Amino acid sequence: MVRHRVAITGLGLVSPYGGDLEDFFTRLAAGESAVRHLRTNDLPRPLSTPFVSCTAFDPEAVLGKPLASMMDRFAQLGMAAAFAAWDNAGLPRTADGESRNDWGVAWGTALGGTLASEKGYRELWQKGRERLSPLTVVMVMNNAANAHISLQLGLGGISMSYTVACASSAIAIGEAFRRVRSGEATVMVTGGSDAPQAYGSVRAWEALRVLAPGNEVTSPSACRPFSSNRSGLVMGEGGAALVLEDWEHALARGARIHGEIVGYGTSCDHTHLVRPEAAGQVRAIAASLTDGGLTPDDIDYVNAHGTATADGDPVEVAALVAVFGERAAKLPVSATKSMHGHLLGAAGAIEAITTVLTLREQCIPPTAHLAQLDPACAGVDHVIAARHGHPLRTALSSSFAFGGSNAVLAFRATP
Amino acid sequence: MDSINLIRNFLEQRLDVTPDKVTTEARLEELGIDSLMLLELMFEFEDKFGISLDNTLQTPKTVGEMVEMMERLRKENG
Repeated sequence: MVRHRVAITGLGLVSPYGGDLEDFFTRLAAGESAVRHLRTNDLPRPLSTPFVSCTAFDPEAVLGKPLASMMDRFAQLGMAAAFAAWDNAGLPRTADGESRNDWGVAWGTALGGTLASEKGYRELWQKGRERLSPLTVVMVMNNAANAHISLQLGLGGISMSYTVACASSAIAIGEAFRRVRSGEATVMVTGGSDAPQAYGSVRAWEALRVLAPGNEVTSPSACRPFSSNRSGLVMGEGGAALVLEDWEHALARGARIHGEIVGYGTSCDHTHLVRPEAAGQVRAIAASLTDGGLTPDDIDYVNAHGTATADGDPVEVAALVAVFGERAAKLPVSATKSMHGHLLGAAGAIEAITTVLTLREQCIPPTAHLAQLDPACAGVDHVIAARHGHPLRTALSSSFAFGGSNAVLAFRATP
Repeated sequence: MDSINLIRNFLEQRLDVTPDKVTTEARLEELGIDSLMLLELMFEFEDKFGISLDNTLQTPKTVGEMVEMMERLRKENG
């Protein structure tokens, strides 16, 4: 079977810091948190929680009023990220003669149009209305983001969505990668988006007792992966997109190649709905190495799933130690969720972008707020300040979801 | 509010169409009202005037036809 090399030619996101891609990475490298305190005016009881909001994002300005008004916020974030990645790839938004009938979209979202569906419930149950807007169905559906992306960019190939909790966009990227590698698709837009600030979503997550507490003062440092005083995860909204492209096609049009995606490994713990299991993660990590023709010695950085939950972090380190053996102690690892938060269905995508930029810029962003390492999380080289000066050849990005679904992506730097 | 102004308001708020473009001869499709937006516009009309539209109603093609339909329904519903 012929395997095509897969170039990453476009990166785009709605940055929680409000700036562009370069600004995003600069701030991550500086250890700057985008987490803030979110207080809503929800009835009957306002939400009050650390959260990552894209407050500078103006959907009407970026997408235009007609398009923005057809979309739930998750699709607005997704469309904006996809446009940014597409422009970054130097591709015209309207096809210029070349057929795009095998160009497609693979998009991750854990929640889909939850805000629109919640608005519908409020209309029905709080305001006593009997009918809903006719746009409700097309705003709520989980495949709204990828459908809009295909429409706006004229992509005639497959358009699909993946809902795999916190691994949604890692799996979307992996499946898109396979399509390009096999030759089925020339170009794939992939990534993910979510807007988990719906009243019911946050209340449901609170009930699981996995959300970190925080107020106006303490929220920026509320998410402390691997730390002995970690207190849970911090959710956030966001959208992040990558353009994956057949290597030869990218070369032929003189595209800038940010990096190469070389491996994708998946597994299921099949042991518990929410308690992760090292054995399952080990299989996904090992599968990504095998898929990319890599050995543990090739890996110079791991962007951890690292959510800062009590159970999750030590299990993840145990899995890395199991795969990397003696080398684990020298394996640089960081959890950037400490700064950009846990974007659920967009988490894998924002971390994939972070990993690609780590290789491109040859700079490892740190785990923020890691002053005191939990001994249970020892065993790898925790990066706590931006690190330069060591050649970074290949890197992994891990996503381990509720439901036990694991996905690991492997990236290679372009010389 | 009369029917044409309801349409003008809707188009300005939702699709950024300036009111001067909303003439009786203007075709709804050219103003950006596709089948989904038409459903949304009819929904707003029903809401505003407390009317329930029949699913078998013929789809208007122009602003004038839309106004005519709205006026007729408002009269029928007193």
